Amino acid sequence: MKNKLFEKYFVFSPYFWLVLFFFIPLAIIFKISISVSEWGMPPYQDIFLFDNGFKINTTFENYVYIFSDYYYIGSFVNSLILALISTFFCLLIGFPLAFYIATSNIRLRNILLVLVVIPFWSSFLLRVYAWKIILQNNGILNVILLNLGITSEPLQLLYNQYAVIMGIVYTYLPLMILPLYGYLNKFDLNLIEASKDLGLNRIKTFFKVILPLSVPGIVAGSLLVFIPVVGEFIIPEMLGGSDRLYYGKILWEEFFVNRNWPGASALAFSGIIILVLPIVIFQILYSRWSQKNEI
Amino acid sequence: MDNNFLVIENISKSFGDNKVLENINLNISKSEFFGLLGSSGSGKTTLLRILGGFEKPDTGRVILDGMDITNLEPFDRPLNYMFQSYALFPHLNVFNNLAFGIKENFTQKEIEINVRNIAELLSIEHLLNRRIKQLSGGEQQRVALGRCLIKKPKLLLLDEPLAALDKKLRSKTQLELTTLQKKLKITFVFVTHDQEEAMSLSDRMAIMKNGLILECSSPEEIYENPKSLYTANFIGIANIIEIYKKDENFYSDDLGINFKLNKELKNTKTNILLRPEKIKIQSINNLKTSSFNSFCGEILEKSYLGSFTRYEIKIKNMIISVLDQNFNSNSNYNFPKGEKVICSWESESIKVLED
Repeated sequence: MKNKLFEKYFVFSPYFWLVLFFFIPLAIIFKISISVSEWGMPPYQDIFLFDNGFKINTTFENYVYIFSDYYYIGSFVNSLILALISTFFCLLIGFPLAFYIATSNIRLRNILLVLVVIPFWSSFLLRVYAWKIILQNNGILNVILLNLGITSEPLQLLYNQYAVIMGIVYTYLPLMILPLYGYLNKFDLNLIEASKDLGLNRIKTFFKVILPLSVPGIVAGSLLVFIPVVGEFIIPEMLGGSDRLYYGKILWEEFFVNRNWPGASALAFSGIIILVLPIVIFQILYSRWSQKNEI
Repeated sequence: MDNNFLVIENISKSFGDNKVLENINLNISKSEFFGLLGSSGSGKTTLLRILGGFEKPDTGRVILDGMDITNLEPFDRPLNYMFQSYALFPHLNVFNNLAFGIKENFTQKEIEINVRNIAELLSIEHLLNRRIKQLSGGEQQRVALGRCLIKKPKLLLLDEPLAALDKKLRSKTQLELTTLQKKLKITFVFVTHDQEEAMSLSDRMAIMKNGLILECSSPEEIYENPKSLYTANFIGIANIIEIYKKDENFYSDDLGINFKLNKELKNTKTNILLRPEKIKIQSINNLKTSSFNSFCGEILEKSYLGSFTRYEIKIKNMIISVLDQNFNSNSNYNFPKGEKVICSWESESIKVLED
């Protein structure tokens, strides 16, 4: 009896965690997002008023406000594009790497896996800051380029969208490689030989055999990169410039600079819905597809 | 017959310091069913993989139907390879697995027709819409075979084609495979570690050991007249006896008897092979031992195998295996354990092993 209880607690503890630190805060954010804003602390009115009898004091003004200003929608679109591009580059670099690791002999494989994970041992903030030092005007990269005579004056490598993409790809690459590796590890190499034997060259073998059989790994890795990058705040803040505004930064400003808590909450809540709904639909369709194809 | 359809010339291959193949030479005829037999580590699979193009030999050439294919990629070779694990594509159904190799060069209609034909040939028409996971081992084997045969290869390479099947299915598939091969007249080269499989499938076979070909001949020839001690022991049951010249005849210290050979020997000391089914076993009451090619021994072990009974007979320092065919249905015909019997054989049954 006692064991059963323990088992139940053990299995459901992640759900307690989710409820406590995700669904309750989400409900609070939703509550704030439909509140009327005012000057004060906290900077919004209660949604239930009791002074002249019971009255519900809610508004959708905040949603109207953020959806009518392209400033907010635009930043969200920028973030989606950033996430798409970063995921694409992570996949482009991560797939061959993961495939190479998965197919190399056990000793080399373990060394390579450790190398992939090593960046996690140092602070994320520190690593992004290091890129700032590398890319700045008198940074190491510019010094090399100047000394080699490739450019006559320092290039502006920092504070633009390209630096942001680079920083994100660098940071999130292990999150792409590890799930891909986990999947490719089980790949039967005889299938590649069989495909070649049946007359398909390397490129066709890749598209007809390797790629279709890697879809689950690609999906897992891509979601792991895409979702957090949409809300990424620190990397655009440290490496980005004023050429592009991103969702995470706007959210932060709306909350802490403009002190528009209801507006910021509406923005956050919309962002989650816009992001989560398509992904849930995609997951359902995908699991049906993969069941049908038995991958 | 054209003996030069597939020519393997001076093929050597090492992995690091490990010499896997040493100077292999083989000529295989068109439409021949050729077996490579060896224990694990003999290099047989490496040789097959070199033929398939998955490994490059360090030295030597492979010539197929007059064309040097040594440096061709697997996808440019007019041959196909059937993997031991079958390597069927799990993301495709049976139809698309069969059509995989012909999708490029054929129209949809031609693909349909070809797949139907090959499915009919292998009696798998009812499986075309199945997923690979829904197939039994035997069905998977047929799909793997069909996927190769649909390409009409000049040469089909088979890596342990029957190893993944259970025993009963294996003997059935063995027969089907030979029938199919004779019907299609495609040259088959296969690898196996199972001597029975090699004997029943092959027109000719090569015995491999440590990267060398010890012997290459028909199964009958290899069984009846093996050249080396290794082959004699490897194929079937073998009684190996050391004899030396003594007066007119030959003498074995282990058995304490004389041997009479029907041919002259170069060496004064040699090993001979006596297959267990060549030895006649008789009751001691019937006759007396002759002065050569026979002995009187005691039955140590006996196992009844249905059509045969296998006896282990002790004489002096040796135990000799004898296979006796069960002619009579009367079980009393069998000799009981512990009984003394007389064993004898013809001079022609004694095979001299050269080395």
